Amino acid sequence: MIHFNDVTKIYNSNVKAIENMNFTVEEGELVIMLGPSGCGKTTLLRMVNQLESITKGDIMLNGKSVWHSNKIEMRRNIGYVIQSNGLFPNMNIEDNAMIVPNLLGWDRKKMRDRFNMLMELVGLNPDEYRKRYPHELSGGQQQRVGVARALAADPPVMLMDEPFGALDPIIRTHLQEEFLQIQKELKKTILFVSHDIDEAVKMADKIALLKGGKMMQYAEPARMLNKPANSFVAEFVGQDRVLKSMSLYTVRDLANALTLKPVIESPDSQNINENLSLRVAISKILNQEADQLIVENDNGTRKGSITLDLIEQFLHREIKESV
Amino acid sequence: MCSGGDLIVNLIEYFVSNFTFILGYTWDHIKLVGLAIIIAIVIGVPLGIYCSVNKYAASTILQIASIMMTIPSLALFGIMIPVLSLINEGIGTLPAIIALVLYSQLPIIRNTYTAINNVDPDIRDAANGIGLTTFQRLIKVELPNAMPLIMAGIRTATVLNIGVGAIATLIGAGGLGGIIYQGILRTNNTMILAGAIAVAVLALIADLFLRLIENLFTPKGVKK
Repeated sequence: MIHFNDVTKIYNSNVKAIENMNFTVEEGELVIMLGPSGCGKTTLLRMVNQLESITKGDIMLNGKSVWHSNKIEMRRNIGYVIQSNGLFPNMNIEDNAMIVPNLLGWDRKKMRDRFNMLMELVGLNPDEYRKRYPHELSGGQQQRVGVARALAADPPVMLMDEPFGALDPIIRTHLQEEFLQIQKELKKTILFVSHDIDEAVKMADKIALLKGGKMMQYAEPARMLNKPANSFVAEFVGQDRVLKSMSLYTVRDLANALTLKPVIESPDSQNINENLSLRVAISKILNQEADQLIVENDNGTRKGSITLDLIEQFLHREIKESV
Repeated sequence: MCSGGDLIVNLIEYFVSNFTFILGYTWDHIKLVGLAIIIAIVIGVPLGIYCSVNKYAASTILQIASIMMTIPSLALFGIMIPVLSLINEGIGTLPAIIALVLYSQLPIIRNTYTAINNVDPDIRDAANGIGLTTFQRLIKVELPNAMPLIMAGIRTATVLNIGVGAIATLIGAGGLGGIIYQGILRTNNTMILAGAIAVAVLALIADLFLRLIENLFTPKGVKK
């Protein structure tokens, strides 16, 4: 758990970078801090592991105040991933990934097992990469190693500063999805900085939207998209916020909330899996690929069909409900 | 005047018949410069590291080292004489080594300082964020990545010192300068040339040797 208690940061005795920040990242939650550049999101993140000092207030990490923690010891208990991956060019991949366990004095066998396990987790072959050097890897591979390094000593808390920001869109999407899978398994408490609203909507349990060092809104993605707290939030999340919010739901959510229409056999229909995101489903209809989408579960059993007006009905309901 | 052909023949003859004589002078030269460089590294590298953490000290230290460099070598040797005469060491090896150490400081300090400052800030940030202490960061991350540039400074200093070391013979420090100096006194062109060639060859070999060492000490991932 990360708890921000009235955190303030003042530069040069008068420039307020962060003003009275109060919020909590609950255990096992992934919170994404969003905002325009200069809003203080990275500063706030770096205040957690004390790379930036705190002027006033307190940050509690699993109940312990950062003011009373040993900086070095505390940082070794926090996974830290940065945009440029920050791998050490002079060390091979295994030494890079195992730097924190090494500092903590783990034995060789334990480190080797941990390395193998983590590399499998991030989707790289441990033996193939063990002795290679960072510059021999692609950007995506380097960032996977960066994630493995952050997870090495199994820290309860992770800080991620635009971890996928420097990657091309295809690799970025891959890594986002893989990381979500990893997070489902490991349930770390994660504070994550991003400037990409789509990334935040896709990955976050909650989004913290900052502007000028102040919190604009702290809410679940659906709530932020459907009920923006003020005009700045509404503008930041975009005019297409309803469309964005659809990627938060699957066809199954719709099927559970509303009664599906009966299947009418017609050439203009297409079969879709119920795990498909609603955003993709509506795109299919809008793309004129089909007028009617037939929903199937994993066994291939047909559950009914959806049409444009059914989706519309569902959205009305969700937007109203999230008030 | 002798023709070019004669000169080469004379030169070869000189090298063959005075082989042990030249080797002795070369060995003296290596000892003089080698000792000076080792002392210069022991002083210069830590100073360079210190400069990289203390910006105020950096400008002062680099300033002083630059001034050392601007003093003509002959003058610097000259200054050593009255100063060290106070402890009866006015001429000989000691003043020569001190002068050579002072000369080597600028390239060694400046390169160490620049090399550490040039380590990618993101890498330094990652090292801090992961929980390395300042000393661990220096040993595990900054120095290994700074190695090529630090070694380049040492190489520059060594080659420079081999040249300047040839003048040290004037204050009685021995070395290959002795052959050149004797050649000048006797107006023996062959001897002058032989001494000059020996100094140049020694500088080339030293540079090559230090490149090998650099290769040995540079981590695999840092080599381009």
